[in-house]
Amino acid sequence: MAEHVILFGGPMGAGKTTAIETLSETEVVRTEAANTDRETADKDTTTVALDYGEITLGDTDKVRLYGIPGQQRFDFMWSILKERAKGMVLLVNNDAADPVGEMLAFLDEFRDLYDRGGVVVAATRSDVSATPTVADYSAALTERRPDLVVPVFTVDPREEDQMRTVLMTLVANIEMREMFLTSTASQPTSAAAR
Amino acid sequence: MSVAPHLDPVVVDLGREALLAMGDVSRSLVYASFLTDDGFEVVHVPDGKVDANRFASMASSIQALSEAVAREVRIGSSEYVIIASQKGHVIQLRVPGHPVVLGALFDDDETLGKALSVARRCAQQLAASLADRPAAQPDAPADQQAVPAY
Repeated sequence: MAEHVILFGGPMGAGKTTAIETLSETEVVRTEAANTDRETADKDTTTVALDYGEITLGDTDKVRLYGIPGQQRFDFMWSILKERAKGMVLLVNNDAADPVGEMLAFLDEFRDLYDRGGVVVAATRSDVSATPTVADYSAALTERRPDLVVPVFTVDPREEDQMRTVLMTLVANIEMREMFLTSTASQPTSAAAR
Repeated sequence: MSVAPHLDPVVVDLGREALLAMGDVSRSLVYASFLTDDGFEVVHVPDGKVDANRFASMASSIQALSEAVAREVRIGSSEYVIIASQKGHVIQLRVPGHPVVLGALFDDDETLGKALSVARRCAQQLAASLADRPAAQPDAPADQQAVPAY
């Protein structure tokens, strides 16, 4: 059975905890505290350490889902959790002040996860704010990071089908990259030299 | 609109008073801080020993994780967090009845039991001081009320 550790990252209020609760087949471990920073996100609670859930995809893939705190002041948790991770679902809140900028900032912060496995962007609350569009996110990614291939979706984190699609896309990307790296590594040196 | 503890000057002053009183009775206290549940520092003493914001964030995460573990294994609510190391220990506990946590770093000059005892007393002192605050005036505008509704 293959195992994947996937992070759910992104700014405060993007829907990370909700997404994990939607996906997880086990009771989610939550570490929420009363939110005193209502200017950043107008919600009652915020994750201060991690969320944890599990899901099995197909017959063989067990995926451990870790939600990280969205605020920079908890970046030590980012470092701890990304050590074991293979990929990240990067959630951004479409009605935030600068969702594209936040996406790029998180992508920079978690660049090593992209290198190790993959990243998928999932924009939430597009029903509240129609822009930026998927094309806007993709254009910004292409301009700033032409070397990266990052799928972009709009999602409702409460919708299981949508979140499963996002997660399966990420897992498929990770597994394809692993296969590619394995096959590249097994090529004879002389072939590589040609 | 309620006032967050770290933005309330009265809470900051009462917290500093409680921390200084703890330092007076414990020679092994190196650093102590009150912080909000979500990791904002309310007040700390003394200055310069520790990165105050980082300590508050880490203490918040540790507190939440300890409470998650206690929930998971069904042992009731978490009372203390103790990190015991070669050259000292960190003790954390909640201020009863408030969304505020005490985090205190002690060296190894005194026993863990003494550190626990003074930390507990400190948290209780802040809780008592907050309870003794004058009641809010019902007709006063929210931003002038004496007792925040956090």
